[in-house]
Amino acid sequence: MADSQASGPRGLVFVPKDGPRGDVLVLIHLRGGMDALHVIPPYADPDYSGPRPRLAVPPPGEPGGALDLDGTFGFHPALAPALDLYKAKRLAVVHACGSPDQTLSHFEAGRTLGRGVSDGRLTTTGWVARHLLTTPAGTASPLRAVALTRTRPAVLIGAPGTAVFQSLTQVVLDVPPDWGDAFGQVLTELYADGSDPVAVAGRQTLQLARDLGRIGCGENRARREVSYPKTKLGADLRQVARLIEAEVGLEVAVIDHDGWDSHIDQAAGLAGLIASLGAGLAAFATDLGDRVRQVTLVVVSEFGRRVRENSGLGTDHGRATAAFVMGGAVAGGRVYARWPGLHPDQLDANGNVRVTTDFRDVLAEIVCRRLHNPNVRQVFPGFNPSYLNLVAADQKV
Amino acid sequence: MKPFNRRDFLRYGAPAAGTAALAAVYDLQSRPPARPLPRIGESEAGESDPAWRILNRAGFGPCPGDLERVRAMGVDAYVEEQLDPDSIAESPTLLRRLDNLPGLTLDPPEARDYERAEQLDAAVSPFLRAALQLPNPTLGRGPGAVTKELRQACLLRAVYSARQLQEVMVEFWTDHFNIDQGKADCGWLKAADDRAIRRHALGKFRDLLAASAHSPAMLVYLDNTLNTLNPSGGPGNENYARELLELHTLGVDGGYSLRDVQEVARCFTGWGVKAGPDTWPGEFVFREAQHDPGPKVVLGRAIAGGLGRRDGEEVVDLVARHPATARNLARKLCRRFVADAEPQDLVAELAGVFERTDGDVRQVLAALFRSPHFRERPGRKLKRPFHLVAATLRALAAETDGLGPLAHLEAMGQPPFGHPLPDGFPDHVEAWVSGMLGRWTFAIDLMSGRMPGTRVDVGALVGATKELEPVAVCRALWRALTGRSPAKARMDAMIALGADLPAAGARWLALAVAGPDFQWR
Repeated sequence: MADSQASGPRGLVFVPKDGPRGDVLVLIHLRGGMDALHVIPPYADPDYSGPRPRLAVPPPGEPGGALDLDGTFGFHPALAPALDLYKAKRLAVVHACGSPDQTLSHFEAGRTLGRGVSDGRLTTTGWVARHLLTTPAGTASPLRAVALTRTRPAVLIGAPGTAVFQSLTQVVLDVPPDWGDAFGQVLTELYADGSDPVAVAGRQTLQLARDLGRIGCGENRARREVSYPKTKLGADLRQVARLIEAEVGLEVAVIDHDGWDSHIDQAAGLAGLIASLGAGLAAFATDLGDRVRQVTLVVVSEFGRRVRENSGLGTDHGRATAAFVMGGAVAGGRVYARWPGLHPDQLDANGNVRVTTDFRDVLAEIVCRRLHNPNVRQVFPGFNPSYLNLVAADQKV
Repeated sequence: MKPFNRRDFLRYGAPAAGTAALAAVYDLQSRPPARPLPRIGESEAGESDPAWRILNRAGFGPCPGDLERVRAMGVDAYVEEQLDPDSIAESPTLLRRLDNLPGLTLDPPEARDYERAEQLDAAVSPFLRAALQLPNPTLGRGPGAVTKELRQACLLRAVYSARQLQEVMVEFWTDHFNIDQGKADCGWLKAADDRAIRRHALGKFRDLLAASAHSPAMLVYLDNTLNTLNPSGGPGNENYARELLELHTLGVDGGYSLRDVQEVARCFTGWGVKAGPDTWPGEFVFREAQHDPGPKVVLGRAIAGGLGRRDGEEVVDLVARHPATARNLARKLCRRFVADAEPQDLVAELAGVFERTDGDVRQVLAALFRSPHFRERPGRKLKRPFHLVAATLRALAAETDGLGPLAHLEAMGQPPFGHPLPDGFPDHVEAWVSGMLGRWTFAIDLMSGRMPGTRVDVGALVGATKELEPVAVCRALWRALTGRSPAKARMDAMIALGADLPAAGARWLALAVAGPDFQWR
C-alpha cells in the first residue's frame, strides 16, 4: 500500500508499491491531421515543392526557409524553439508515420489511433488503458492517469482511475452550495482514522484535492526561468509539469491540441500552432530540468495531409504524418524515416504519402522500454512491432 | 430457437418505441402506490452479525426490512432459499421494468435489428409512426438499444431482484467469462450469452462452460471466429484456447503447456458464428470445412482424428473436470465471498466438493456458506463500484431506471460489460481504492437529486426510522446504512451541519454512503 510521507513543500509523495518505476508518459494529440510536410518539410525531396507552389516551405537559407535538421528534412521556422532540443538529442522526429487504417475521417482515424489497433472497430478500449491494466498499479494514486481534455480521450477509455479535467482547479468534490463547506470537513473527519486501504486512500484523495487546488498553474510556480507560450497547450504542459514535480503518482498525462485541420490558408493558420508546439516543448523540457530523464513525451496526430495543395491555400486529409518523441532517454537529433518519396508514382492511390512506419512501432517501443511494460501484445493486440531504437532501455529500478 | 414473428415484436416494440419517445424507461402508469417502508436502523448489526454478513456477501446488501426477515428465518434457511432461486417469487417491480426492455429476450437476428434500429416492415412503420407520433421511421430505441438495455437490466436486477444470490453469481460468472460489449458485435450478442449464464449460474460448471464455448459473443470476443484450419499448416487463432485454459478453467498455474494451447485451438477450429443475410445471424455454427481433422493430444489425453465438432466438446468435458479447474474456481469463489487472501484450507475443501459433485456450483456454495471461515472469520471485502451502487440503492429503497447511475459506474471504472480484458473486473481492494472521489461523487449526486432517472425519498426514509428527534433520526439512518451507531463526535458534527428534517437526512445519508464503513461489505 502506498505511503504518504512528508516530502518537500507539497507533503505528498506516492511511493510505488512494487516493480520498477517507468517514465511518465505525456501524450499530445494534435487534432485535425497534422501536415507533416509543412511542419517538418522534406525540403530536399525533388517532388516536394512542385505540388505546393504556394505552400511549400523554402529550403534553408532562403527567406522563411526551413531550419535544417539533417540535409533532407527541416523544421518549419516557427518550430525554432524546439531546434535546440533536437540538437541536444532530446527530440526525435518519426516521419512517414501513421496508421494502416485507410480512413480519412477524423473520428474514425482518431478512434483507431486512440485504440491502438489497425481497425477501430476491434475494440473500444484505448491502448493507454490497456497499458495501465497490464502493469501493476504501483501506487493507489487517483491521479495515475490524467487527461486535460473535455471528455475522456479514446486512449484512456477503459482505464482504471482516470481523472479528466481541464484544469487542476477542477479536481474538487462537487458539493451542492446549500450543503455548505462544513460538509467536506465532516467527510474529511470520517477518514481521519484508520490504517486500512480505504482510510488511507480516502485521506490521500482528500489531501490531493486540497493540494491540487494549491498547485494551480500560476506564473510563479515554475522553478526556473521558464516561459510557456500563452496558449492552451502551454497552460496544459505547465500543469503537467507541476503534477510531475508534485510526485502525485502520475503515470500518464494526455493533452489535446486542437486546430490542425488546415483545409484553408494553412500558411497563416498553422504558423501560430507550430510556434506554440515548439515553444511548449522547449519550455516543458526546461521546466522539468533533470526530471526530463523520467519523462517520455510523444506527439501524434490521426493522419497527415495531401501532398498537393488545394485551391484554398490549404491541404486536405492525407495519410502519413509525423510523430515527435521527446525525453531524456530519447535517441534524438535524428529524423527516423523510411522515406517513401513524393513522386506521384510513390504516392498511394489517393495521392497521399505512404505510411512506412506504423505509429504503433513508436508507441510499443516506448511502452516496452520506457514504461517497462513487457505486455506489448496485449497493449497492441494483433500487432507485431518492430522497434526503431528510438529510446534507450535503461535497467534502472 | 423459438420462431419470432412480427406480431410478437410489435407487442414488445410498440410500447417500447412509445416510451422511448418519452425517454423514460419504466411504465409510469403501472408504478404501484408507495408503500410505507419497514422500520430502519432500529438495531445495531455490522460485519460480525451473521444476518448482516450474509445479506452483504451473498447479495448486494439489505433493503429496509431484510435484516429483520433474515434474523427471523435464520441465516441457514435464508441461504437454502437463495440457493434455489426458482422457488423465490421474483419482484414485481423488477419484472415490470424488465418488460420494458425487449432487447433482453430477442433472438439473435431480431436482437441485431433492434440494436441497429433497422426498419422492420415498411407497411407497418408508417402506421406506428403516426400512432405514436414519432418523427423517426425506425422502431428501435436508436442504435445500441440492446447494448444499453443489457446494462440497465444488469443494474435493475442487482437492485430489485429477490434472487440476490443468483444475481451475485451471475456477476461472478460474467466477470469469469468476461466479454467486452465494445468489441465488434458483442454488444447485442451478449444478450444471448447473458441468458445462458443466467440459466447455469447455480448449476453444473460443465454446462456453463459448454454454453460459453458455444456462445457467439464469446467466440467473437476471443477471436475463435478466426480460428480456422490453416492450409499452409500453421496455427489458426489461439486466443480462445489460451483464455479457456488460463482464465476459464485450469488457471495460469494449472499445469498446461503452450503445446496444449495449440492443440486446444486445433480442436476448436471451425467453431464459429453464422452471419449473412440468408442465414440466422448471431447463432453458433460448426463449419466442418474449417475444422482441423487430425488427431490431437490435450493435457495428455489423445483425441482421435475425424471427430469433427466432438473435439471441442471433449475438451470442454476434460477441462471442466480437471482438478486444477476445481482449485482455480474454488480460489476465485473464496476471494469473492470470503477474503482477498483466500484461505488455503477452505480453497482445498471447496475444490474437493467441486470434484465430488462433478462441478455442482450450488453445493460448493452451500459448503462455503457453512464453513467456519465464512461464519466466524471472513476477511474484509471491499464493495466494488457496482456493488456500492446497488447496495446504496437497495438500502435507500431508491427508485431507478437503471440508467442514471451508469455514468457514475463508468467514472468509477466498472461499467457493466465494459472490462476491456478477458480476465474480468478485478476482485481485490488494491484495484479499486484509487477511485474514492468517484464514490463520493456518486453519493453526493444521488442524495442531492442530481442523478437522472433515480430518486431517493428522503422523507420516507426519515419516517421509517420512527424517530422524531434529529439526533435519533441521524443515528438510525447511520445504523441502517452501516450497521453501527456513529461516534458521538461524528454525530455532533453531522448535527452541526443542520438538523432541518427531512432535508438534513439527505446530507447525513450522503455522508453515510461516502464514509469509510460503507465501502466495506
